[in-house]
Amino acid sequence: MIAQMKVHGLMFDPYNNTFIVILRDEEQSEMLPIWVGKPEASSISFALEEVTTPRPMTHDLMKAVLDVVGAKVISVVISDLKDNTYYAKVHLMYEDSEYSIDARPSDAIALALRTKAPIFANEEVIRKQASDELDQWLENLKPEDFGKYEA
Amino acid sequence: MEQSGLKELTKLTVHGVVADPNTETQIVILRDEQTAQILPIWVGAAEGNAIKLAMDDAPTPRPMSHDLLRSMMEHLNLTVSRVVVTDVKNNTYFASVHLLSQGTERTVDARPSDAIALALRSNSPIFVTANVLQQRGGNSLETWLEKLGTKNTSAGG
Repeated sequence: MIAQMKVHGLMFDPYNNTFIVILRDEEQSEMLPIWVGKPEASSISFALEEVTTPRPMTHDLMKAVLDVVGAKVISVVISDLKDNTYYAKVHLMYEDSEYSIDARPSDAIALALRTKAPIFANEEVIRKQASDELDQWLENLKPEDFGKYEA
Repeated sequence: MEQSGLKELTKLTVHGVVADPNTETQIVILRDEQTAQILPIWVGAAEGNAIKLAMDDAPTPRPMSHDLLRSMMEHLNLTVSRVVVTDVKNNTYFASVHLLSQGTERTVDARPSDAIALALRSNSPIFVTANVLQQRGGNSLETWLEKLGTKNTSAGG
């Protein structure tokens, strides 16, 4: 039903002038590419490289707000894919209550990396995106197109 | 202490966001409605857009980063009582977000761009310390824009 994913890499998509976050499951049998904008990609890249920026970035502020009141990110889930748009949920725990909040996957991933929360994907989402077209597109990419973040 | 602190603060409104013709950054123009004094703050393109979207009240198909932050805070019953542009050092501006959680106020360090983007989305007041206004405030928007070499106010206040 649901698979735990790791951020496998971050790459530039020259055809669409955007970035792609590559999620893979633990067995590395499934892959989920998610297209994200440049600011979101930078934020994810800072978290992957554990770069501390002089001033807090937007997702650092999110974490700081959660930290200051003692709320915790339990997990984030890439929950749906509709009309080429991915949907995600951020699951928070605060004072013994659980909250599920609608988010873009890019924000959810950027926050998960900063809070060390696990990232999950609904298997239905992985199945939906596994079109031949996409596989072909990815096969045409050279290894050096991929980022250096080996999971 | 809190009272005397507030006295030294000036309330500002977001007057507009303009593109800096010399760099790829954007400038958020904060304005004191009483004196018409302005405070320009340079922000990145993404942050400038986040502020513009909030000013225009433009709904996006999916929640943007600051919408997510506001949404998380709403779920957790946290309110933004105010944001304050607190300091400027070596051309870097500092801000703080004041949160109310069950009657307790907490303060979180933020970049002014994030603080302003959040304040606009939560209808919270924006303040600046006397120190920052003294150092960086300008008298008139027109004079300042002329100096900058642009009349391109892309968003009105």
